[in-house]
Amino acid sequence: MTGVETIGRTGARVDGPAKVTGRAQYAADVNLPGQLWAGILRSPHPHASIVRIDATRARAMPGVHVVLTGADVGTIRYGRRLMDVPVLVADRARFVGDKVAAVAAESPALVDAALATIEVEYAELAPIFDPLEAMRPDCPPIHPDYRAYQGLPASIPDLPNVLAVETVARGDVDAALAAADVVVETTMAFPAVHHAYIEPHACLVSPQADGSFRIWASNKNPFLLREQLAAAFALPADQLIIEPTFTGGDFGGKGSPMEVPVCLALARAAGRPVKLVMSYLEELQAANPRHPTIATLRTGATHDGRLLAHDARFVFNSGAYGGYKPLPTLNLAASHHAAGVYRIPAARVESTMVYTNQVPGGHQRAPGEVQATVAMEIQMDRLAERLGIDPLELRVRNAVEDGDVGPLGEPWQDITLRQCIEQAREASGWGGPKAPRTGRGIAVCQRAAAGGQSNAEVRLAPDGMIEVITGTNESGAGGLTVLAEIVARRLGVPIEQVRVHVEGTDVGGFDQGPSGSRFTFVGGNAALAAAEELVRALTPLAAEVLGGAADSVVLEGGQFVDRTRPGSTVSFRDLAARSPAGDRSGRGAFSGKAPNRTSFAAQVAEVEVDGDTGQVDVRRIVGVHDVGEIISRQGLVGQIDGGIAWGLGYALMEELRIEDGRVTTTHFGDYRIPSIADMPPFESILLTDSRGDGPFGAKAVAELSLLPTAAAIVNAIHDATGAWILDLPVTAEKVLAALEGPGDRTAG
Amino acid sequence: MRPFDFVEPSDLDSVLALIAERDPGTQLVAGGTALFLLMKLGLVQPRRVVSLRRVAGLDGVRATPDGGIEIGALVSHRAAATSPLIRAYDATLAATFHGVATVRIRNQATVGGNIVHADPAQDPPPILMVLDGSAVLRSGAGERVVPLDGLFVDYMETAVRPDEVLTAVRLPPRPSGLRTAYLKFLPRTADDYATVSVAAAIALDDDREVRDARIALGAAGPVPFRAREAERSLLGRQLDAERIRDAAALARAAADPLDDVRGSAGYKRQMAGVWVRRALERFASVGPEARA
Repeated sequence: MTGVETIGRTGARVDGPAKVTGRAQYAADVNLPGQLWAGILRSPHPHASIVRIDATRARAMPGVHVVLTGADVGTIRYGRRLMDVPVLVADRARFVGDKVAAVAAESPALVDAALATIEVEYAELAPIFDPLEAMRPDCPPIHPDYRAYQGLPASIPDLPNVLAVETVARGDVDAALAAADVVVETTMAFPAVHHAYIEPHACLVSPQADGSFRIWASNKNPFLLREQLAAAFALPADQLIIEPTFTGGDFGGKGSPMEVPVCLALARAAGRPVKLVMSYLEELQAANPRHPTIATLRTGATHDGRLLAHDARFVFNSGAYGGYKPLPTLNLAASHHAAGVYRIPAARVESTMVYTNQVPGGHQRAPGEVQATVAMEIQMDRLAERLGIDPLELRVRNAVEDGDVGPLGEPWQDITLRQCIEQAREASGWGGPKAPRTGRGIAVCQRAAAGGQSNAEVRLAPDGMIEVITGTNESGAGGLTVLAEIVARRLGVPIEQVRVHVEGTDVGGFDQGPSGSRFTFVGGNAALAAAEELVRALTPLAAEVLGGAADSVVLEGGQFVDRTRPGSTVSFRDLAARSPAGDRSGRGAFSGKAPNRTSFAAQVAEVEVDGDTGQVDVRRIVGVHDVGEIISRQGLVGQIDGGIAWGLGYALMEELRIEDGRVTTTHFGDYRIPSIADMPPFESILLTDSRGDGPFGAKAVAELSLLPTAAAIVNAIHDATGAWILDLPVTAEKVLAALEGPGDRTAG
Repeated sequence: MRPFDFVEPSDLDSVLALIAERDPGTQLVAGGTALFLLMKLGLVQPRRVVSLRRVAGLDGVRATPDGGIEIGALVSHRAAATSPLIRAYDATLAATFHGVATVRIRNQATVGGNIVHADPAQDPPPILMVLDGSAVLRSGAGERVVPLDGLFVDYMETAVRPDEVLTAVRLPPRPSGLRTAYLKFLPRTADDYATVSVAAAIALDDDREVRDARIALGAAGPVPFRAREAERSLLGRQLDAERIRDAAALARAAADPLDDVRGSAGYKRQMAGVWVRRALERFASVGPEARA
């Protein structure tokens, strides 16, 4: 077999040995005979017409095989849903980093030299950076041909530069707001944030003699990538074979075609394999970061703290393109987080996605959902302040319980929110004494797994090992380990007896990929079904070996047992050695919607604020997460700890700075993410009594743990200082400015 | 990155011959932790890179006959942090090298490379400046010794001429009773560059009056600098809250920081005052014999 293969280890990740020995193969590791290297010339202007491109000198350079411009490629556009991203721009560059020309040559140095000789004459256009300005009726459109694109949403908005509007509502919000004793209004701003995965996007495209292409790409959704490329290039999907690779960190960012289409265009023109590895400068300037967002919330309540109405508006800055968003609405899934986890009779959430002349936004761990949760959970504390009610009490008073529907009619079941809050209250010492300049903040949330489809095969290999065959790439989150754990547990064998084998799209069964906290639920249930099928297929073989009747043979404690004859057992290994050739394979499929049994969480942050500098020191975080059954403890703990680190970075330090359309945080010296030394002590409480819809009752955790952290920190800063910092990240400078109030700080 | 020729001479004379022409396309490299990042970003595009790594005689920490020490240009930050000679000379200096970036960088980055890189946010220059350090510069014409306070000309620019190599940092005999501190303000991540940093060296006399005061700031201007007026304001005075506040205000007034991702110029100027005050308070709050 040619795919990626891993073997289980108790308590460890199945992909660990391959990674620590360097055997794990990432897209950039693959090299082929005759391979060319590729690079991209990018626009230095945020908005400009392309008047003329002269690539004569580059084309004449020895060793340069292909030079492509927009004119050569034609109007091929791609996208995950909306196909609006040109492979190379032909007429107009829409952000600093837009792809203008591409070169394939015999060495990376030659690529750089050739790119440097390409002359582009631009006519600069007025750039539009502010999404609110972009939405004004008189604003010129950044995409004049928007209505001609494929993959448009069901209803097309009629404001310039607005590519999607979605409104989800329940009840008469305006009347309920008018009737409320108090109404709190809050506007918040969230920055663009990069995923900071270790591996930059990389791909290798190899044209085959039969006209097909073999592709290695740092992409977590091989089957979806195949569909996206097929749609863009009008090729049959089976002509595009996405080979298995490890993905060097995803966090939502490795689901877009990104640089694969231009690499495919170059390889097709060259008739040779072409490899393209983005630099981290290109990553930070021109990949698909989290959307900058403006949130405006109005919430009405009674004097005694009963929520009556909630109205939330989100403006998501899409940047230059909408093609990196996978939902058919072309929006982010903010709605069902934007009114929180509370009983609210009337709620409305409007999400607007707007084109501007900056780096296009894409998915990042809880896309839109984290902005929505953080906004709502800060709003709850602002409301608590107005009402003079303890923030935790306000949440308890309004928390959904079994029998309630969510604020927008969400049919949640087995609701554990109050347990989460009460446990967080106790573990955090909520209400207990605090040192000066120290504050506590709480935030709560819910997050279910996304639905989707997956396939798996589980077979008994001739050597007695159990093999799991999947089409999912290991994105770094531990999906392969989860599959091995599930199969080992169902069959009753030690995980050391399980081998996971990843196949490419030509062999593996369709899998939707590890996105939206879906993998344990969707991929896991497919593997569980395949393990069931294997048991079904092996039972008659075991009966034959045992000389018994198939209906009296069952799998017990990792062995097939003839219940009618005590002591008559055969293990998987013996069965592999002794059974006649027969069907030793089970195939399983799963297809399902997001479950109604969601996961809840409550987190409390404790911070100390330096009154002279504004520096925020997060002293402690207490997290209570309802996780249901634990499949892989190490993976689960990693997801939760990682989510907290993400939330802390989002709250305090991460920001892709964009000035006049240009990303100015161009390396990790300037773009900071939390290091281990920045992580506070974290006390984690796992609720495992409830049951979810994943295998054995597992629930989703991948995005859950990230959602509330930043709000808990912002609320704690308010508790410590009385100041509300409503634009993330909460830098020390912003805190100090808020502490000192308006005035000339430089004279102070 | 543009292709370049890579040369690894084994002796200093060969290096000096290679740079004698003052060819702007030739670039010296030691640890490479700064230069190669700049080259990757296309900000520096040399045609020829001359490595100092194989040049004999540029490493090691030596005691000098006058009682000072000399730190070879190729001494790594890690070696400087663990050097018994440096620790004995000034524990704060060793600790400052230990606090630079991460151990991976400290194993690679050199003392000399750090200085000629002349990034105003680097940690070692301020503490070396309050210890009255000098750079030893060699060229075909001979050797000259330039005080660090004067070596830094502008943002990432030094007085080192294109035909010169920085071979060592020289520190004079340490005055008795001098105590030192280095504080860096890291409001984002623990391994960030300083938003502002302050090195201070203070000696008190028997009456607890300031006999010697040296204050240097990093990341508070285009170059690391000595806050001379603040220093003078302390001489002959008790190190009390009022004097400290006044000195901090003078240091803040001398700051001319840049706006960047670590803060606005106004904020950094304000922080320069806060951290000078905090550095000086360390000396006020402990007895004259204790080390800060």
